[in-house]
Amino acid sequence: MAQIKNRLTPFFENITFDRDDNELVLNFGPQHPSAHGQLRLMLHLQQEQIVKAHPDVGYLHRGMEKMAENMIYNEFMPTTDRMDYIASSSNNYGFALAVEKLIGLEVPRRAKVIRMMLLEINRLMSHLFWLATTALDIGAMTVFLYAFREREYLMDIIEGYCGARLTHAAIRIGGVPLDIQDSFLHQLRVFLNKLPENIKDYEDLLDTNRIWLMRMEEVGTISTEMALSWGCSGPMLRASGVAWDLRKEEPYELYDEVEFNVPFSDKGDNFARYRIYMEEMRESAKILYQVIEMYEKCVDNNETALMAHAPKYISAPKLDIMTQNYSLMQHFVLVTQGMRPPVGEVYVATESPKGELGFFINSQGGPYPYRLKLRAPSFWHTGILTDLLPGHYIPDVVSIIGTTNIVFGEVDR
Amino acid sequence: MRAYTPKDDVQAKAYYTDRFYVAPQVPKQDVADDAVFAADLEAISAKFEVKESFIQVGQMVVYINANDIYAVLELMRDELEYTQLTEMSAIDWLAKDNTFEIFYQMLSMNKRKRIRIKYFIENGQAVDSVEKLFRSADWSEREMFDMFGIEANNHPFMKRILMPYDWQGNPLLKTYPLEGDEFAAWYEVDKIYGKEARDIIGPELRDTARVDRYDSNRFARLGFEVPKGTEITDDMEKTVQSYQEDGGVFLITKLDKESSKVIDDPQR
Amino acid sequence: MAQHKVNYTQDGGLPVALTSIDKIVNWGRSNSLWALTYGLACCGIEMMASGASRFDFDRYGTIFRASPRQADVMIVAGTLTKKHAEFIKRLYDQMTEPRWVISMGSCANTGGMFNTYATVQGCDRIIPVDLYLPGCAPRPETLQYGVMLLQQKIRANKAGNAQKAKRLM
Repeated sequence: MAQIKNRLTPFFENITFDRDDNELVLNFGPQHPSAHGQLRLMLHLQQEQIVKAHPDVGYLHRGMEKMAENMIYNEFMPTTDRMDYIASSSNNYGFALAVEKLIGLEVPRRAKVIRMMLLEINRLMSHLFWLATTALDIGAMTVFLYAFREREYLMDIIEGYCGARLTHAAIRIGGVPLDIQDSFLHQLRVFLNKLPENIKDYEDLLDTNRIWLMRMEEVGTISTEMALSWGCSGPMLRASGVAWDLRKEEPYELYDEVEFNVPFSDKGDNFARYRIYMEEMRESAKILYQVIEMYEKCVDNNETALMAHAPKYISAPKLDIMTQNYSLMQHFVLVTQGMRPPVGEVYVATESPKGELGFFINSQGGPYPYRLKLRAPSFWHTGILTDLLPGHYIPDVVSIIGTTNIVFGEVDR
Repeated sequence: MRAYTPKDDVQAKAYYTDRFYVAPQVPKQDVADDAVFAADLEAISAKFEVKESFIQVGQMVVYINANDIYAVLELMRDELEYTQLTEMSAIDWLAKDNTFEIFYQMLSMNKRKRIRIKYFIENGQAVDSVEKLFRSADWSEREMFDMFGIEANNHPFMKRILMPYDWQGNPLLKTYPLEGDEFAAWYEVDKIYGKEARDIIGPELRDTARVDRYDSNRFARLGFEVPKGTEITDDMEKTVQSYQEDGGVFLITKLDKESSKVIDDPQR
Repeated sequence: MAQHKVNYTQDGGLPVALTSIDKIVNWGRSNSLWALTYGLACCGIEMMASGASRFDFDRYGTIFRASPRQADVMIVAGTLTKKHAEFIKRLYDQMTEPRWVISMGSCANTGGMFNTYATVQGCDRIIPVDLYLPGCAPRPETLQYGVMLLQQKIRANKAGNAQKAKRLM
């Protein structure tokens, strides 16, 4: 096909001939085989060692914050799915919790239990994905295929629940719209029973593997001061010596009723982060066992409410909408006009698998938020590469980007 | 004459607001209710002017002067143990009184408390960068500059971060339309093919309801696909999915739907 | 209700008479389509899932290659933003002919749910697209069915050097 005439000139910025100091500028372009999305890293290299690193983001900026100023709160829910698209229920949940705190809603217990189940399943999905892609980047393709197999089982479970594999929108403001179906608990139990031996498979392949250790230990060490200064959170912060997990420190949902440990390390290198992710998978399985029991207790106690009862903000259950006239009228107004939360501001942070996911909502009483700021952990985890990469070699770049667990839907929003 | 639509806030508006509707407020509590916050507020107000302070949804909000921000954050980081700057950004109040409201969300892990520091600046005023105190402000201030046009003094690299470097316009201002102005609409065409290609490629098609089910040249109905140009009536038949051509392909197994097995056990 | 088959490639007005050389070359090309890893956003995850253990891509002969010079088909999976538009054109130009483009997901087809200032309303504004896959994100089976349709399309075309230029929208 003949070339369509265009104005793009060839790029030669990776080879500059007029430098005397032997420095090479390498462009780790917006498309690269590492599975992490659209990161453009401009690296200044001295032989093979990095002297300066400049990450360039914004290649997935879709204008979500501006969309929020033009959409009603419920309409914005599926958009939050696309932020951290690997564990999408955690974004949904963060947004729903922020709006509920703004309004002052109390979510019924059964909905809380179901939400916790979804959150921990999403955490498992996210950590499995992280393991698969990091191992793939370093070269361990077996782990990629194994972890994706486990992930497929989890996606089957979620697909049976809400119909979507990847972008769930399963959590609404005020609760959850759907109750879990019969096979959900059974499939989840079967999966959880097999999970410890699967994690052990991955650890057997990787933990004492000489290549893995050489690429992960002492590489990408983040000191505690750097982590605090850069606003790191989640496993990045816990690997650098600060035992801070929002599920324990500012418990939301029913996290204060379940027992789990929070792994942390003081080494701060890639290997520490890797170990924390593996341990967190085990902790999530522990939480899920307890949450399944809590759900069964809810069923025994006959608590069936799934959405909060707040007629000014939340629609009635479908049965009422179809049979009662006032519920239908109120649902119509809420869907066309949107709920109007009180005037005020709220910042709510939850512990997403990547770190502290925060939603800042400034509402002026209208159906659209006046300002919605999405605080995504991966934004600052990408920024820390500026300070972290100098001194490392090119192969370390790949392993460091892998273990920082960056998702570009979050970074650019 | 068409009705005058004010251009200082072109975001979507509610189509109906009750004339006598008074919006409720999220409750604010007095700072004295919480001992930790009261001590923090005292430490801040001993050295700087605090215009307003209250507790809302469990977090303290403090309004200060724009000039004091570097010193206040230094005080908070060094003495009051607020070690993380979780977030900072701006809110656009240009339509109301030509100001921006800048907020800094701080977190103290030892005390398990969050504080929001806020101040107002005029349109065109620049803020002091706190990047020397918290490195996370480096990128946050760049994003604020990109989205609102608010510059930060003493910032190491004050360039756009989310939009391309040669973008014109600050997207999160209320005067900027959601779908972008003319510069945004033609940006990629101009950059790659040049202005001459605007006529060839045509404008962006942003109508979200432009699917026409009777147009078989540009749209296809899933499950009822027809060749281009066929007239669509209301009683079409479902089309059959074929994975390979009729004659089959050399060495490739042809899928036979009758003999295929549906697996319904997910844990197989 | 009778079901009728649609022969996409026949009724699209494409050349019908193929020599046996054409058939052999097309058979080879269609069954070893090497895909460029172009996962931009959420659809990229589904593309990876379709290349992973459950929905294997290798059985079609498709291997994901990172370099555009070694790839035949570019699967644009995810939102194309205006900042990135320049690079997709560069990568498309770097691909060697014959090359095809599959646009996967709503964002690549038409801009999707992101009706904003920073999203290109469909990657066919920049590069010519051969196949559009609907969905948000499309299931891996959709992507694989799309690859099979593309294989049928390749086999129905002449194997000569020049591909007909498609109109950009």
